[in-house]
Amino acid sequence: MQNDLVYWLLLSHLSRWTTLKTNELIVQIIHNQKITLADFFDLSCDEWIETYKLTDKEIGDLEAAKKELANYSFLMENMLNQGYELITLNSDDYPQVLKDNLKLKFAPPLIYTKGNKSLLHDDTIAIVGSRKAHDMSLKWTKNIAINATKKYQCVVSGGAKGVDQTALNESIQAHGHSILVLPQGILTASSLMKKYYKHIVDGDLLILSAFYPKAGWSVGLAMARNKYIYGLSKKIYVAESAKKGGTWSGVLEGLKNQREIYVRNPDNNEKNANNLLISKGGKAVDMDGFLIKTNIIPIQENKQMSMQL
Amino acid sequence: MNRQNAELKLKQIFGFDGFFDDQWTTIDKIFNNKRVLLIQKTGFGKSLTFQFPATQFDGLTIIFSPLIALMRDQIKFLNQNNIKAGLINSEQTDDENNITIQNAINNQLKILYIAPERQENSLWQEAVLKMKISFVVIDEAHCISSWGHDFRPAFRRIINLMQVLPSNIPVLATTATATTDVAQDIQNQISGDIELIRGDLLRENLKLDVIHTENEEDKMAWIARYLKKVNGNGVVYTGTRVSAEILSKWCENEKLNTIYYHAGLDSDSRKIVEKEWMVNKFKAIISTNALGMGIDKPDIRFIIHTQITQSPIHYYQEIGRAGRDGKTAEIFLLFNPKDIDLPLSFINNARPSQQKYQKVIDALKQEPLGERNLIKATNLTQAQIRAIKADLLDQKIIRQVLYNGLKKYEYQYNAPQLDITTFENLRNYRLKEFDKMVEYTNTDKCKMLYLCNYLGDNNSRSCGVCDSCLNEKNKFSMDENDKEKIKQFQNNFFPVLGVGSKKSKQHNNKKYQVKFIGAKFEGRIDNLKITKEIYQQLNHDDKKIVDGLIQKTKKESKLIDGIASSYYGFSNVGKTIYKCKYENGKDYPDFLLKQTLIAFGKTFKSQKFDLVLFVPPTESGKLVENFATKIANTLKLPIFSIIKTRETKQQKIFQNKALKTQNIKDVFDINIDITDESILLIDDIFDSGATITEIGKMLTKRGAKVIVPLVIAKTVGGDIAK
Repeated sequence: MQNDLVYWLLLSHLSRWTTLKTNELIVQIIHNQKITLADFFDLSCDEWIETYKLTDKEIGDLEAAKKELANYSFLMENMLNQGYELITLNSDDYPQVLKDNLKLKFAPPLIYTKGNKSLLHDDTIAIVGSRKAHDMSLKWTKNIAINATKKYQCVVSGGAKGVDQTALNESIQAHGHSILVLPQGILTASSLMKKYYKHIVDGDLLILSAFYPKAGWSVGLAMARNKYIYGLSKKIYVAESAKKGGTWSGVLEGLKNQREIYVRNPDNNEKNANNLLISKGGKAVDMDGFLIKTNIIPIQENKQMSMQL
Repeated sequence: MNRQNAELKLKQIFGFDGFFDDQWTTIDKIFNNKRVLLIQKTGFGKSLTFQFPATQFDGLTIIFSPLIALMRDQIKFLNQNNIKAGLINSEQTDDENNITIQNAINNQLKILYIAPERQENSLWQEAVLKMKISFVVIDEAHCISSWGHDFRPAFRRIINLMQVLPSNIPVLATTATATTDVAQDIQNQISGDIELIRGDLLRENLKLDVIHTENEEDKMAWIARYLKKVNGNGVVYTGTRVSAEILSKWCENEKLNTIYYHAGLDSDSRKIVEKEWMVNKFKAIISTNALGMGIDKPDIRFIIHTQITQSPIHYYQEIGRAGRDGKTAEIFLLFNPKDIDLPLSFINNARPSQQKYQKVIDALKQEPLGERNLIKATNLTQAQIRAIKADLLDQKIIRQVLYNGLKKYEYQYNAPQLDITTFENLRNYRLKEFDKMVEYTNTDKCKMLYLCNYLGDNNSRSCGVCDSCLNEKNKFSMDENDKEKIKQFQNNFFPVLGVGSKKSKQHNNKKYQVKFIGAKFEGRIDNLKITKEIYQQLNHDDKKIVDGLIQKTKKESKLIDGIASSYYGFSNVGKTIYKCKYENGKDYPDFLLKQTLIAFGKTFKSQKFDLVLFVPPTESGKLVENFATKIANTLKLPIFSIIKTRETKQQKIFQNKALKTQNIKDVFDINIDITDESILLIDDIFDSGATITEIGKMLTKRGAKVIVPLVIAKTVGGDIAK
């Protein structure tokens, strides 16, 4: 099995391949042809063309990757030796919720973790919001996080400044479970490992990354990471959103995919887009996370009414 | 590639006419991308079985080896034959290692030697991803097995690597010493199909003998006699550092040119000794098994063991270094039935107590720590920490992780409980192995065959030249003459306290050293002593550096090397000191005073002293003061006390140098004027030297001209139990 793992590593980070393409190939190999990735890489070009219908360009990419095998072995040995785990799409450890939410199009074929990986099967929630969230939002975040721990739910967070950080810290402080989804490769996050060491050791915090292990932080990865936060969570709680930016687009995306999204009901004098999100389908909740009736009629209901007319 | 073509290429590249059959069998398998475990005796020509294939592969061949000296030799040989080879290890500078890495990445190297510990280095981990690797070699592969006699945790990581390396990359593991058990263990660990190729282990040019003696003095007498009459140079292995030093001094006393060697010497001294020995400057080098693998001298004509080894494998490996040139070499084991005590205690105390393991685990549960901080946090010795961490790593209770390039140990979530049954099993296994070694000393079976069979070679026949084959049973007892000489020696030999202030500097590949020896300074450039004449002729730069070092040394400390009257563990010295210090509180008895005065007289008769100072005690009352006063009275010198400005803990509770130094930093002072005075500094025990070094610095600041330490006993690592 470990021999196959290095091929997962190779396949998951081909620079010109989309997640969908990679996952489709993996499904073909493992489900349809029922062979290992190692066996697949041993096949001839002809078989690649005939059975898998690969293009010349794709074959070129795979051949180039094959040459890197030994090197990737060193990388993998290095990671396993340091206690990191590599969880493949077809593994029992791989969280079903991630598959359900992201599907083949976006579910990362290989995820890297450190710590208690059984947290991946917890009842998970994410608490998202602007980096520059106001005090009310942060207070709300704290409440949601603490309530979550009381319900034995696991808080998924990106650890970024603002709502993310608060959610994570409150969950940790309340001795709850948390998953920290990194905006970078797992080998580049030593300071976070050090900061949260005790919680990792105690089994309360899982560090997770879906990116190439040595990839440094970048804006692109930070953005990409948001969908993994959504993907890992069963419910999303939105503390505060502007009318643009990461939180805004994330929620819209989630609503489009019919995710269960709860939005903090703002006070009258607040200047943010929470109400707008509620009108688009987010469920309004109070300071303790309970659903409330609002004066806002969700847009979908409007449409239904007009159709009835 | 068929054999014919290969041998043509062999001739072209290396100049050899052909392969031995076993060599070709191995090489053939490698070309077919197989994994091979090759067990062959020294001198078989293992190197060629990986060097030749390396020249034929497209990419790089990586060779894991613990033998730094052998690496250097092999690389020299390869470069001479126009095969680009490089090495990465701790002896190279960072710059040198970086250049080698770059060359490897740019495909400008065919062969890269690397010490297994390098796997933990972040630079290596980055770089290896960019190299094109065709072939992996593990030299001294027995280091992989914890059942083997030389298990090294860093080799474990090679195993992890083997498990993830794609199976179409050929792997060659080689060793000369692996019993059937160990070979099986290696095969189990290097997963995938691994074939075993085993050659015979008979070393025809080694003449094995066991000499039965009754005591250590017998051995001393026998060795002196033997060294006087034997032709050629060789090695004497002792069980402890103290015995290596004492034995060497005894031989010098007998006008024999010997030198001692052990891990307690600083690395500069070790290098000097190794170099000089290689060019036959000494009749014999007398060493613990620190003189280990990798000293590749082809003409070792004899190897004498004064202490029985822990197993026949250790023995076979250590004697295997003799006669690599094929000419006859004599092998002796001097055995006295009481000798079994030492190895038995090693085996039974191989591991620290369970509580100590728990200390380490508890510390690492709080935060990730590197080795140094772990030592500080637990107050365990470096040796204990290393033994414990090796086991914890092995059981996957902790892991070594890089934090921004720094190595730290992490306790793992959900780590298993510490399993001590494996320790028990290992201990029993080792006891059985030791039994077999004791059996060797008495066996009538051919001695060489005994060792070969033990190591899994069942194909060899009797050697015909060992004491068993010749039907001899050798005993030796010293005569009255020997006895007298030895007694004389023991009454006149005194251990040196090597605390003399010295500074060194490396510049433009030259090594400069300066040492304060009292009236003047002694300097060396690249180990060549600088006499007055040489100094006059030095160029401007050299002079500047030497003068600079003299200033630094002068400024730092006027402490010179001192003397102890005896080793702590020698005779009843240690026991007597312990009783007085920790049990009955009585003054040190006269015999200790007498031998200290004798040691002093013989060593410092030409040195003038102005006063005596003694080291203030932490707890043991006026013992040192009374002792020092007696000495001062005998020498008719005034005596004063050194003052402590604050309380300290007893040095002996601190298990390592870092903590000992911390305990006494800036603690000492003096309330008299000592400008330009020559001082005799007295204490009872010399352990790490931290106290005396610290006092030396303080006295220098206060204007002392020279400071000479004098103690009753010098310990040699671990003498004073906790």
